[in-house]
Amino acid sequence: MIRTALRHHAPTELAEAVALLNTHAERAAVLGGGTMLVPRLTRGEVDLDHVIDLRRLGFGVATVAADSVHIGATVTYAQLLAASAFPGTAQLLQRVAGGITGGPQIRCQGTICGSAAYANPSTEVPAALVALDATMHLHGPSGARTTPAAAFFLDAYRVDLRRGELLTGVTVAARAARLGYYKLKLAEGSWPIATAVAVLPPAGAGYTGAVVTLGAISTRPIRLDLAPVLDDAGRLPSDVDDWVAAQIGDPWDDELAPGGYRRMVAGVVLRRALHRGLEENR
Amino acid sequence: MTELASEPVPDRDVSMTVNGRACRVRCEDRHLLVEVLREQLRLKGTHAGCLNGDCGACTVELDGQPIKSCLVLAAAADGAEITTLEGVAQGGELDSVQQAFWDNDGFQCGFCLPGQIFATRWLLARDTDPADAVIREALAGNICRCTGYQSIVESVRAAAAGLRGEVTPG
Repeated sequence: MIRTALRHHAPTELAEAVALLNTHAERAAVLGGGTMLVPRLTRGEVDLDHVIDLRRLGFGVATVAADSVHIGATVTYAQLLAASAFPGTAQLLQRVAGGITGGPQIRCQGTICGSAAYANPSTEVPAALVALDATMHLHGPSGARTTPAAAFFLDAYRVDLRRGELLTGVTVAARAARLGYYKLKLAEGSWPIATAVAVLPPAGAGYTGAVVTLGAISTRPIRLDLAPVLDDAGRLPSDVDDWVAAQIGDPWDDELAPGGYRRMVAGVVLRRALHRGLEENR
Repeated sequence: MTELASEPVPDRDVSMTVNGRACRVRCEDRHLLVEVLREQLRLKGTHAGCLNGDCGACTVELDGQPIKSCLVLAAAADGAEITTLEGVAQGGELDSVQQAFWDNDGFQCGFCLPGQIFATRWLLARDTDPADAVIREALAGNICRCTGYQSIVESVRAAAAGLRGEVTPG
């Protein structure tokens, strides 16, 4: 059981949620799907007096437009999978949702925004959001603001959320581009060891702007412009793995894999994502 | 850390509909849904395993979706409609998924059953002819300490065949 004298708040107004977060600051946390926060409370890894539950704030909606998708803070992975196919590059979020570890139960509880706010390096969500140039919607005592995903993820388990701020949703543009996604994990029940998202110009449009974003490799997603290494036919040089490894300054090290292993496989997952991006979009 | 002995622990009344019956329980804000189901409502079919979201033994349906009740604060389930394993059988008869597990030795010791049964119901509501890989993927959130996975997959296969109107040897 949870051993602290926890108080559960379920505000129905955003201003109330922000005021609670601002007042209780480091003694409070936001409760989204609960798949990370609740077991951490049970294990005694976090010492909190207050949880602010977002589920009555109306953030449980995903809005799909022709050129973008907005996902509210409490939209679950299962909701993403039940929606019609997202347009353009936004479909990556549905691919990611379908591969989230933990089976249907976790997909019915966990949220993209919760994973983003928690910023565990060994998850696929941060890199997916960076790859899609997602816009993070934040709300705090000073009102609403936005920030690009690439600036939101600061370090392992650390994001650009100021005192009293919470993440209310993310928006991704639905670009016309080729997409390749690859995830390396050693068992179905394991978290990813490395992920790669390749975003490539449409077929026939060359390779200028081809980018691969690596996840779970370092404390933050790593975005690599492939222009220096791709030739005109979309081929990589034979020593590309060395080039990729050299881009990774401080690989993430945890119980799943040492940093050295992650650096070693980074080139492999990059190549596989690129291959999928080319082959699946012929 | 604010300890139980030094501070009053926040508590509240939580109203839920459990297995079709409206109920109201007094619980502390820090209580997990699995704790309230087992200890206050005495519904022991929901098992407390890892309390970490890994094993699936505490799975229930909350508003029609399978969830791990060790990951939910009971206070957050106020107003929810919950089905536990006790609510699956109707009129004393096993439902078709339970029957398929029984017929194919999918029950084993029974500890992981809530997760296996509710994950199967979720899968078969969407796909009545799943490939084995799809079945295994749907069951991935559950750990069987008897390691009886093959029998469980066969049980799901049989339940799917039953839904399609096919008869399979038990």
